[in-house]
Amino acid sequence: MIRFDHVSKTYKGSVPALQDVTVDIQRGEFVFIVGPSGSGKTTFLRLITKEEPSDGGEIWVAGKEVGALPPWKVPYLRRNIGCVFQDYRLLPERTVYENVAFALEVIGRSRHFVKSQVPQILELVGLGKKMDRRPNELSGGEQQRVAVARAFVNRPLILLADEPTGNLDPATTAGIMRLLERINQYGTTVVMATHQHDVVDAMRKRVIELDHGTVVRDQARGIYGMVDA
Amino acid sequence: MAIPSPYVLRETGSNLVRNIVMTVAAVVTMAVSLTALGGVLIMRQAVNQATVQYQHGVEMIIFMEATASSQEISGMHQELASMVPGQIQRCYYVDKAHAWTEFKQIFSGEPDMVKVMDLQKMPPSFRCVPAKAQNVSVLANQFQKQPGVLDVKYPGQAIREELARFATLRNVALVVAGGVMLGAIALVVNTIQLAIFARRREVAVMKLVGATNWFIRVPFMLEGLTEGLVGAIIAFAVTFFARNTLASFTGSNPFVPSLPLYVSPHAALLTGIFVVVVGALVGALGSGFAVRRFLSV
Ligand SMILES: Nc1ncnc2c1ncn2[C@@H]1O[C@H](COP(=O)(O)OP(=O)(O)O)[C@@H](O)[C@H]1O
Ligand SMILES: [Mg+2]
Repeated sequence: MIRFDHVSKTYKGSVPALQDVTVDIQRGEFVFIVGPSGSGKTTFLRLITKEEPSDGGEIWVAGKEVGALPPWKVPYLRRNIGCVFQDYRLLPERTVYENVAFALEVIGRSRHFVKSQVPQILELVGLGKKMDRRPNELSGGEQQRVAVARAFVNRPLILLADEPTGNLDPATTAGIMRLLERINQYGTTVVMATHQHDVVDAMRKRVIELDHGTVVRDQARGIYGMVDA
Repeated sequence: MAIPSPYVLRETGSNLVRNIVMTVAAVVTMAVSLTALGGVLIMRQAVNQATVQYQHGVEMIIFMEATASSQEISGMHQELASMVPGQIQRCYYVDKAHAWTEFKQIFSGEPDMVKVMDLQKMPPSFRCVPAKAQNVSVLANQFQKQPGVLDVKYPGQAIREELARFATLRNVALVVAGGVMLGAIALVVNTIQLAIFARRREVAVMKLVGATNWFIRVPFMLEGLTEGLVGAIIAFAVTFFARNTLASFTGSNPFVPSLPLYVSPHAALLTGIFVVVVGALVGALGSGFAVRRFLSV
């Protein structure tokens, strides 16, 4: 589903963010990208959606080589990928319902489709009763659920989450992790970047560890710290 | 590319309202610039009409009586021919039918004038290019007394002044139109830039979820197009309703000097359409530029 083949990336006037990264993520996997701040986790995710171009190597996403994709095709790549961030990135003047519907409207989905999908997805994330609230009337955990709903409403093949629980307390974090696990069970490939040990340790999923832009560990059913497999 | 039009219209509308001051400024400058442009075109039409009988170096017109006999006309023909090339460089004859066509063209905005005239009342004429312009008054006096001659006109100086006056007006107006247009473009670009900034969150989400570039751009471009169009429609209204005032700036009527020049509604309409097209184009191109510059996708 996602394959990095000797990928490197250096931002202008900066040290290398990724160096010769080779990784293969299968359809339906749940993968943690771990490593300290500045190790290249966010860059890894931004290369998948082609928010940044890579400098070298090949990146294959859903059967397409991202580097060879002409700019006009990039939006269609992104329709297969849902994204969730630490800071939620919701639209403050829109309700919960409108925030999720927006993601469908702007890719030209029919009104009928929007009306049928949005309530369903909001039920799934446990916000069926708060559809008319605005983001500032919700807790952090609830806002992140809206963001997950928006990322998932178009049933993407891949869900990328960049430190999605970075701003949440442990109980709320556990709820979000259960939600991501559930989405993964529907068949969506989930890639989550985090530097929170407890989150990774609790899940026992595949762990790819980055350090200064290189892969230093790729372990199935891993925990955050480097221990015997 | 499927764009649900309710979405696009709603976005364009709210963009326009969000920054009403800038929008109004952009529309007004656009209108001023296009009015100046439209004014030049209207005046040019008026001048062309005023001088239609005096083109190609014609300095003197011998109008025959509408009732002049064919002997009188052929006599004049022969006399003029005998004066070429010493006193007259060349002459050509304008018959009743041609004169009537010309008359109807000049007064096409004034159906009342056309109604009281008809083909038979039109004076045929000889349009002459004298060998030496300074001799024109001597020649004119000579022909004035000939049988069948209604009148001899030699408004050379007046025509030259009229053309010079128009040239000045035109240059001033074109400089104004160009200068103000630069301001109008800057304001359109600026309103679009502000709109993009105000909607940066939405734009970021749209990119994230895979909206196409055109889907993101079109509402902003429609905003610029609307600004250009509204400015142009104001300019159109001004030039259309003020067309005879504009025409009178350049001179008076070639047939009846006490009357002003007329520009027909038809000609003014064509000018107006041109002005509207220019406005829409400038609005679309300005916002297109802003979108390319400030909406990296
Ligand atoms: N837009 C950018 N411009 C320049 N350097 C950047 C940019 N984004 C990230 N970097 C650098 O790339 C490296 C990796 O950053 P990042 O991928 O954000 O790491 P992480 O998400 O693991 O904290 C860091 O050294 C960071 O300073
Ligand atoms: Mg990061």
